[in-house]
Amino acid sequence: MDITATTTPATVAVPRGVVPASLVLGGTLISLIGLTWDIQWHSDVGPDTFFTLPHLFLYAGSAISGLASLVVVLMTTADAKRGRPVDPIVGGRAVGVFGRTFAAPVGYLISGIGAALFLVYGLWDQWWHGLYGFDAVIASPPHIGLLLSISITMVGTVMIFSVASDQTWGTYGVVGSAAVLLAFSTVTVLGLQAMPRSIVNSVNVGTAFLMVMILFMAAHALNRRGGAIVVAVAVAALQAVFWWFSPWATEVYADATGLPLRDYTDGVPALPNMIPMSLIIVAVAVELLHKLPAWLPGAVGGVIVTACAPLQRILTYGGSFPSADRYVATIVAGAAFGAAAGMLGRRFGHMLRHLAPAKEGRHA
Amino acid sequence: MRKTLLGLLGTVALLSGLASPALAFEPVNVVHTEKVQAGPYDLTVGFSTWPVKAMQSLDFTFAPEDGIAGKTGTLTMIWDGKEQDDDPLARHPRKRDVWGLDIQALPEPGTWTFRFDINGPAGAATGELRNLQVMEQPGPPMGLSWAISTLPLFGLIALIVIAWRRTRTTVNP
Repeated sequence: MDITATTTPATVAVPRGVVPASLVLGGTLISLIGLTWDIQWHSDVGPDTFFTLPHLFLYAGSAISGLASLVVVLMTTADAKRGRPVDPIVGGRAVGVFGRTFAAPVGYLISGIGAALFLVYGLWDQWWHGLYGFDAVIASPPHIGLLLSISITMVGTVMIFSVASDQTWGTYGVVGSAAVLLAFSTVTVLGLQAMPRSIVNSVNVGTAFLMVMILFMAAHALNRRGGAIVVAVAVAALQAVFWWFSPWATEVYADATGLPLRDYTDGVPALPNMIPMSLIIVAVAVELLHKLPAWLPGAVGGVIVTACAPLQRILTYGGSFPSADRYVATIVAGAAFGAAAGMLGRRFGHMLRHLAPAKEGRHA
Repeated sequence: MRKTLLGLLGTVALLSGLASPALAFEPVNVVHTEKVQAGPYDLTVGFSTWPVKAMQSLDFTFAPEDGIAGKTGTLTMIWDGKEQDDDPLARHPRKRDVWGLDIQALPEPGTWTFRFDINGPAGAATGELRNLQVMEQPGPPMGLSWAISTLPLFGLIALIVIAWRRTRTTVNP
């Protein structure tokens, strides 16, 4: 039977590639929701099993992204085997996997690999908890493995939307997926807590590095003036929603399961508070300094994030200001890593733009 | 589209349904106790596993003989002569009639001290549980665990290197 993909006038045309891309992005958003909820749960309530509702959100997020990626890879493989043209707008150019057994659009290949790794690290985490107990520590090795796996799915999602970044849905998708990756990375970076203590606050420097890099990457992939600000606003919107959602969902779930809130909870939404509120200032600086070499606005961004981090902590949690030498050392490291992040982010943005198929080959 | 939406809603409902019966939280089982005298207050420190091993989490309970009503306090944990943690004594979330720490691990092996500063009807007093021996962590060395867990990061870096090389000739800043 000869099937030709044509659009009938009576139906609403959904641009090719939107549905699977939205499913993968939706999956990563569910993962992020699960993470903010889970962190708040441990902070405010406590008890843990493998099957709490926030955990199920984390599992479901990767499952949705992974299954959507798998379906796209299988459909692309089927098309390639039957000699049908493969439209690169769906996740980018198809690459051979296991020789030519599978033809996988590169974006969906990466998002799918992230989801598959999540399964592997889920088993590693289960074994870990069997040995060490259900201690609610973010920076345990398996947890960082899980967070890195989800991050890979999120990187794949940014790639999927970047392929279509000259279309409206692609533009929105790059903004949304970069914002989700950026918010999520503020937790992954806590893995740096395992590093030996030094005069530099490694988590703040790592946060500055990732924030600046992802912001530059998305802004350059979007290739529009104001791109960095739009991404920062999207992150601020996530931060605002989670600021309300995380404690609310935690309390509702605790009530539903008959568990009390801990004594002495500080009431601060944990994950939203890890996102630098200074990001919007960084984005403005990136836009204003866009004509300068990337390392310069990158360094400025690194300085802003590291200089403002203690201010945000004191604003939300209270407490004392770090010692002057630690504060200055962290800012200097933030400037250096921010400079590198600016250069890397711009280069990564260029790599993402390179994913878009040549215009003459487009079947949008 | 409607079917997809219904499918997704069904999945969420199923997941929510499965989550409730699975929430069978373990009771706090004290298998070992130590006595601490803090002035007029007799405090029993309970452990849900014994001996304590580094990084292996357990439930701690801190029970004054005549209950926690009308009392407040602070727990300071000291390792190697340095204060590691300093928090108010809070009720154990799964055993609300005593203070405690739920599913918490002591990160380092060696000798730990728990210092209790208690305020109550009989005034303020301090007591210490000294020489709490914490054994070496079980399981593989942390270096190996971190190496296994950061493999995705190295995979991502490898991908970036490949993509970098393939797009190098077309850089147009």
